[in-house]
Amino acid sequence: MKLTRRNFLAWAGIAATGAIACDLFDDELRVQSPALIPEDLVKGRDNWYATYDGSVPGGEGVLVRVMEGRAKKVRGNPRFPTNQGKQSATADTLLQSLYHPDRIDGPMLRSGPRGSGRYRPISWEDALYRLNAAVDTSGPGMLLITEDRKCSFAKICGAFADAFGGRHVAFGGAADDTAYRAAVKDVMGTDSLPYHDIANAYALASFGSDFLSTWGNPTAYSVAYGKFRSKPNVSDRGRHYHFGSRYSMTAANADKWIPINPGSEGYAAMALAWAVASTHAESPAVAQITGEAGPGALSEFIPDALVDVLGIPGEVLDGYSVREFFEKLAHDYMAHGGLAIGGGGEAGAYSNGQFNASAVLIVNYLLGNVGQEGGLLPDPGSPISDSPTAAPVASLADWQRIAGDIGSGAVPMVIIHNANPVYGLPPSIGLEGALGNEGVVVISASQFLDETSAMADLLIPDRAALEDWGDDLPDPMPGYRVYAVQQPVVNPLADVDPRSFPDVLLNAAATLGRGDGMPAESYEAMIRANVEEMLGADLNDTLMYGGWWDENATGRAAIPPEGTLSRIARNASPANLVGTGNFHLQPYEHHTVRDGRNAHLPWAQSTPDPLTTVTWQTWVDINETQGRQMGLREGDVVNITTGAGSIQALVYLNPGTPPGIAAVPMGGGRTLGSSYATDRDARESGNVMSILEPVVVDGSGGLAWSSTRCSITPTGDSMAVSKLEGDYTSREVGEHPAEQVYKSVSAEGGH
Amino acid sequence: MPNAEFPHKWGMVIDLDKCTGCQACVVACQAENNIPINTKDYFLQRRAYEWIRIERYWEGEYPNIKARFMPVLCQHCENAPCEPVCPVFATYHNEEGLNVQVYNRCVGTRYCINNCPYQVRMFNYWHPNWPARLENQLNPDVTVRTRGITEKCTFCVQRLRRGEIEVEARGGQRLNDERIAGGNYDPACVQACPTNALMFGDLEEPDTAIKPYFDDVNAHPGHGEHDRETRGYRLLEEMNTRPSVIYLKKIDQYPLKGGH
Repeated sequence: MKLTRRNFLAWAGIAATGAIACDLFDDELRVQSPALIPEDLVKGRDNWYATYDGSVPGGEGVLVRVMEGRAKKVRGNPRFPTNQGKQSATADTLLQSLYHPDRIDGPMLRSGPRGSGRYRPISWEDALYRLNAAVDTSGPGMLLITEDRKCSFAKICGAFADAFGGRHVAFGGAADDTAYRAAVKDVMGTDSLPYHDIANAYALASFGSDFLSTWGNPTAYSVAYGKFRSKPNVSDRGRHYHFGSRYSMTAANADKWIPINPGSEGYAAMALAWAVASTHAESPAVAQITGEAGPGALSEFIPDALVDVLGIPGEVLDGYSVREFFEKLAHDYMAHGGLAIGGGGEAGAYSNGQFNASAVLIVNYLLGNVGQEGGLLPDPGSPISDSPTAAPVASLADWQRIAGDIGSGAVPMVIIHNANPVYGLPPSIGLEGALGNEGVVVISASQFLDETSAMADLLIPDRAALEDWGDDLPDPMPGYRVYAVQQPVVNPLADVDPRSFPDVLLNAAATLGRGDGMPAESYEAMIRANVEEMLGADLNDTLMYGGWWDENATGRAAIPPEGTLSRIARNASPANLVGTGNFHLQPYEHHTVRDGRNAHLPWAQSTPDPLTTVTWQTWVDINETQGRQMGLREGDVVNITTGAGSIQALVYLNPGTPPGIAAVPMGGGRTLGSSYATDRDARESGNVMSILEPVVVDGSGGLAWSSTRCSITPTGDSMAVSKLEGDYTSREVGEHPAEQVYKSVSAEGGH
Repeated sequence: MPNAEFPHKWGMVIDLDKCTGCQACVVACQAENNIPINTKDYFLQRRAYEWIRIERYWEGEYPNIKARFMPVLCQHCENAPCEPVCPVFATYHNEEGLNVQVYNRCVGTRYCINNCPYQVRMFNYWHPNWPARLENQLNPDVTVRTRGITEKCTFCVQRLRRGEIEVEARGGQRLNDERIAGGNYDPACVQACPTNALMFGDLEEPDTAIKPYFDDVNAHPGHGEHDRETRGYRLLEEMNTRPSVIYLKKIDQYPLKGGH
């Protein structure tokens, strides 16, 4: 029928009458009325895909909102067992990592001197030809350096290195936590970490580790901390003591912060252990752990004898002696579900770091909470039986050997993936100089240029986490077995041409006739096999949930071997603080920039540090009173000098920092890569790792990154500090004093 | 208001005893609401954009020191001092209790910023700058504000509107606590907060978790604060701005001597 104006009007009239008569479009009319929706509402459909963010400490399950092929928002996955729908401050930076303007667009070949960061684009065919040729000729003895990922990634890397006679090592980051892992292995016998059931504990003692910010699984522990604070009755509200030499975010949230000397966390834990054993000798747990020696096994840790070692200021003891204080604590912890957490992170960064961590673990055995609700939950083991449960993290001694081998040419080829040891290790290790050896082939598969990848001859960029497959075993697991799956939720943009690094390795092995030694044909196939064959689960269901878990597959609370307590006691030794100077240099992982790995992400840089509110810059926390006595003001540029070198930083006079401590966040002083990381001058951006003495943790062999003394000298220069503090001025000038704004009640005092 | 069948009055409760100062809410807000990247210069000029910020107060001195963390966002006041001073009605109170900012009405007088005792309104001193590629992340549900206007927290109105359309208009069900949380309709800060220090709900909903706190504070206003059964209080309560945000006092196990 020919469509005339008359016909059109007739049919339109019939259709409208019919629609109204049948009440077909009531909802639609209501929905689409401009009076009912804001004019800027976009009505496109969004989809939320479950995936996994392995870039945050401990890992977290996330949902990603995708509209029209673009990732728009990241949120915690409500189903995921560890973070339970919540997220860290850096979860959304997955988006910035994906759409970062400084991402390496495609394969590139070095066009300037090694380390200059000058490259020219080449095709993937050319890049893969060069990669395969290098592996074919230099494979035996090659070194594969990656970030500290586990599971399928580690398995593929390990198999690739093995197939060609090379070696795979992982860089655990500047804030090396190998001491804690070694202690867990020693005391609990597992490679993976135990979980602290904070949510169900009533009294918490933390030792050094900043578990609400950067240590362990901060998001999972923060979720648990919220429950710890939410007991139905105020009288049951969890009580938290923090022992540590830095006023960290965890210290700030504790009900009471007990300042102690740097590196004495293990002694504080053992003092608590003595108090528990001596006041509750009849406890089965105490009897089991102390054995025939009874509390006498801990006689060296009677708090009276540790006064100088611990250095606890008398003002925080509420009129008690140190011994009475620990005994009071012991009674409280034995009566009300006590839990000890920490020993790693900052507490493990001393020569006696493994002792510190072991001491904290053994306190939990004495408290009888291991394997119990509200206690220390042992690692339940991996549900993927033949996948690595820990990355092959190299010790400091390993790195010294590696640098020597690269420098001498004994290692003919180095492949680097998302690891930046040139920045994160003390320069005295000599890795940068070794990688300058033109006789060694260096290939980087990192997503961004950094100080280590800039030493590469060839860049073959990896996919971003939101573009790629992956899997992981959250570390720690929440007391039962969890297998996390990462899936590609978007395709790369048209102007970016990355390839999945594990797939590149698998393809190279297949091309060079070594495919039989590899665990799968593709990264996706390997994850599918893990899900379908190992777990007997459906891949689509697993992807929908963001992983697989079994709440009944819990860990077994094995008793430590007899003599463990006495061995820990025998290993007690004070921290070896190297160098001269009036200050103890205490580096710490930045809340969002962390050890520098997030320095290229603008949200990580612009998020105020929780305590100082400083952004974008490197500062040094100095006790406010001591700083004023030294004539320092906020923003003064000072030289921080150790036996290994000097950097500059801006002074922040911190009322919470103990006198004699110079606390400096990691993550500054990046020299290569994104402008977000590098566009600041040396006065306000310094790499604290570059001035550390190469002190080793006894036992584990990791870097004792908090064992250096330093001097602080003003330069006479000063800069404005880029911080949020001071932005809300009406209250700070006294119009509305803080106590009218921030209100508190005592636990006993009602409201 | 999208649906007269389901009236709303949105409110928030912030438990200071649970806030750890972790900044997850701050970044989640910036990602959700297309807030430009706060460069170093923005902070140096005291012009950083943070629709929600964590204020940090020091109390005491070493070694008896306490750092206090306090999330502060637009309080969505019932008696909002920012509203009557706007010469062009760019800011007004809507039927759902939201203090609303109409960007394309705003002419940038900044009277509202001057009159807000909570300092939660931001002025756009610059054109929003999104480097190439990063603009792909922008939330299409939220306007990118231009230079010369005022912006602030909206309680993520775009999420609420989606919920009102998808759950109420299409589904015929009221948006309650469960449906808000289950459908991604709660504000991004609330959704992100790891310790659940931030709670959000509809005060028209009898069963909402936040209602008892509002009822308690409303029943004992001003000088009756000490008669309250909960820890609830309103920020700068003596100004009678009647915020839609209630704070719960921090519980001090060991109050500092001379503290409050």
